[in-house]
Amino acid sequence: MSRYQGRQPHEPRAIQISFDGLARVDGSARFSFGPISALSSVSGPIEVRLASENASQATLDVLVRPLSNVPATEAKALAATVRGLLTPSLLLANNPRTLVQIVAQALVPSTGSGPKRANVNAVTAAVVNASTLALLNAGSIPMRGVICAVAVGRRKDTGTLVVDPDEGDGTLDAEGCFAFMFTRNGNDVQSQCVWTNWKQSTGDEGVLDKARELAGQAAGDVYAAMHASVDGMNKADSRVVIPVQKEDMIAEDTGNNDDKMEI
Amino acid sequence: MSATVLPGTVVPAQHANLKLGPGLIQKSDAGAAGPSIITTRTGTLNHSSNGSKWWVESNSRRYVPAPQESVIGVVVQKVGDGFRVDIGAAHSASLDGLAFEGATKRNKPNIKIGCVVYARVSLAHKDMEPELECFDAQTRKAEGFGEVKGGFLVRCSLKMCRNLLDPKHFLLPLLGARFPLEAAVGMNGRVWINAKEPRQIIAISRCIEAVDPDGGGMDEAGIKAFLGTLDI
Repeated sequence: MSRYQGRQPHEPRAIQISFDGLARVDGSARFSFGPISALSSVSGPIEVRLASENASQATLDVLVRPLSNVPATEAKALAATVRGLLTPSLLLANNPRTLVQIVAQALVPSTGSGPKRANVNAVTAAVVNASTLALLNAGSIPMRGVICAVAVGRRKDTGTLVVDPDEGDGTLDAEGCFAFMFTRNGNDVQSQCVWTNWKQSTGDEGVLDKARELAGQAAGDVYAAMHASVDGMNKADSRVVIPVQKEDMIAEDTGNNDDKMEI
Repeated sequence: MSATVLPGTVVPAQHANLKLGPGLIQKSDAGAAGPSIITTRTGTLNHSSNGSKWWVESNSRRYVPAPQESVIGVVVQKVGDGFRVDIGAAHSASLDGLAFEGATKRNKPNIKIGCVVYARVSLAHKDMEPELECFDAQTRKAEGFGEVKGGFLVRCSLKMCRNLLDPKHFLLPLLGARFPLEAAVGMNGRVWINAKEPRQIIAISRCIEAVDPDGGGMDEAGIKAFLGTLDI
């Protein structure tokens, strides 16, 4: 079976980023891997309830809303994951006794059974990336790095590792999501894996190492897409659509993506 | 040098009297070659001509108090001898009843709940509630601080407020040439405006929203065309 849009194993689906400018929050952003889309908003530092106040740092509160129904176990688990992921990248000690509230919504159905159910790792990755972009958009909480996430899976039929698996990849016998924190020194982009939920039924830890390396390269593409998108952050209704091709993702040269920009 | 930077970017800032502005911190790395300066927010990296002052120019909507900034606040509560003022930050600020020019125990200012005040942040520490004063720090005179009566309060982004305070920005002189107006710009994303007729106040408010970088960032030619469509 063929992958979505005939992708190579190391390519994620087309990345689409837009900054929506939601009215009552401090920052918001939307991130998509192809059809898997997530919207996230950030407010902070704002007033905190006395019960959740922390005297030495800001309280980080993450709420995940599924597309339909009230938030149940899966949404709460994803919220706890995202909270643990983002905490190391934020300098929360700068604003003690305040609240940083992140509300994320998956824009595809992620619960229930049947063919319409989206890959939960792809949704996790999209939610993490959307939250990072919303934090960048808000600009009021200091950050020490940028967190990017991608989903990786191993196809049961061929045993190859693929980035951002979709229905065309068939059943997977190992899958997970990896998150990396990116920093930069001049042209040198450094990344460090900060979280994963990789699960495999056969094979040794060499598989995990290969999966992490593959995810690291794809996360680098996501980071470059984010860098290209913040240039247009303050223009109304700007959208950056980047069908990822390895040759074009030179991080410093943001002019390359102009011909792919769709508004 | 003005490149767009993301957080976590190392900045090559070196000077004997280095001053780091908003958006930069010094990360002390025990293992690496000495402490390094990294960015903490998205924006354009700028520095002064001699390389002693570096900062990241960015936009946001949420105000974080900093000392000696002029802000517009709304009085929400009377507490003992002073007031609690909402300045749009995470905590309410406290304004002492005697922090006005010529105020004594017998002669206190007549400020009620709901009044708009233009004040200066005198204390802004991350662990304490911010404090305001309604007089200039050096001269101890009012210099425009204090209660502002009448008028209308407009919300905008923080970058827009900094633009409005810049004497070289086009908007307020352009509007002031058409009709007399009064404006008090707070660094906390609030602008108090006043003019003779309500439609002039509405025109100023809409122009501020249109020029705001958050909401489109119209330029001078666009505003002139826009003003032509309004009935002033």
